[in-house]
Amino acid sequence: MLEKVIFFLFAVPAVVAGLAILLGTNIVRMAYWFSAMLVSVAGLYFLMGAYFLGVIQILVYVGGVAVLLAFGVMLTSRKLARLRPGRGEAVWLAGVSGVLLLGLVLSIMHAGWEQRQIVAADSISEIGRSLLGDFLGPFELVSVLLLVAMLGAAYLARPKAQTHGPRDGKGTTI
Amino acid sequence: MMGLTPYLVLSAVLLVLGLAIVISKRNAIAMLIGVEFILNAACLNLVAFSRHGIGALSGQTAALFVIVLAAAEAVVALAIFLNFYHTLATVDIDHGDKLKG
Repeated sequence: MLEKVIFFLFAVPAVVAGLAILLGTNIVRMAYWFSAMLVSVAGLYFLMGAYFLGVIQILVYVGGVAVLLAFGVMLTSRKLARLRPGRGEAVWLAGVSGVLLLGLVLSIMHAGWEQRQIVAADSISEIGRSLLGDFLGPFELVSVLLLVAMLGAAYLARPKAQTHGPRDGKGTTI
Repeated sequence: MMGLTPYLVLSAVLLVLGLAIVISKRNAIAMLIGVEFILNAACLNLVAFSRHGIGALSGQTAALFVIVLAAAEAVVALAIFLNFYHTLATVDIDHGDKLKG
């Protein structure tokens, strides 16, 4: 019973945040609703006993990605792009999403997975073992990917080379 | 104890919302938010399955990888959008076909 209450306490804000983003027109508020969704998903992780994942979700998503998106919004919002689809598009979109949702929910209801609750294991050390055991290859690949993403982002976002820049070496760019 | 179904239904709802956001928004950053919705829905699925005994803890590890990939993707995408903005003074993706070369 309590679990159900807590589930809805987190599930409802996530869905409301999604609807607010979908129907809203203010991009700054969208960034706010986005972090609300991230926090509620983190709460669901805690509810499912995935404590480490919940902490990582808050650290990386709320602390990193959401702040990054907020900065992205502030840096690029001088001239706003169109945020609301036209009427015909909206009807199409609602139809397609509704059918997709219906299909997904029906297949979930009828799938009939065998369910056995596992007690929340000592999850941090277990995750550590599986990271350096079964998932060693992906783990190393991810470290390379992070390096590539860092270099790529720094390269893409660098200031543009100035042809008439100052010659004293201060204004030089990479 | 709650079963698997509520989590999977919530994840399906989040997936559809994210998809609708990606399709309907013209602002590149709003689109990125939609992509993050979809990734979060997938993560929720993975964790729910690992919670209910299917695939043991590898679901949580996979969700960890998804979070890392999402962070990397957001960084690179934002760098591209900043370039886009510097070039075209807008982040309307309808102008994205001018980014060649």
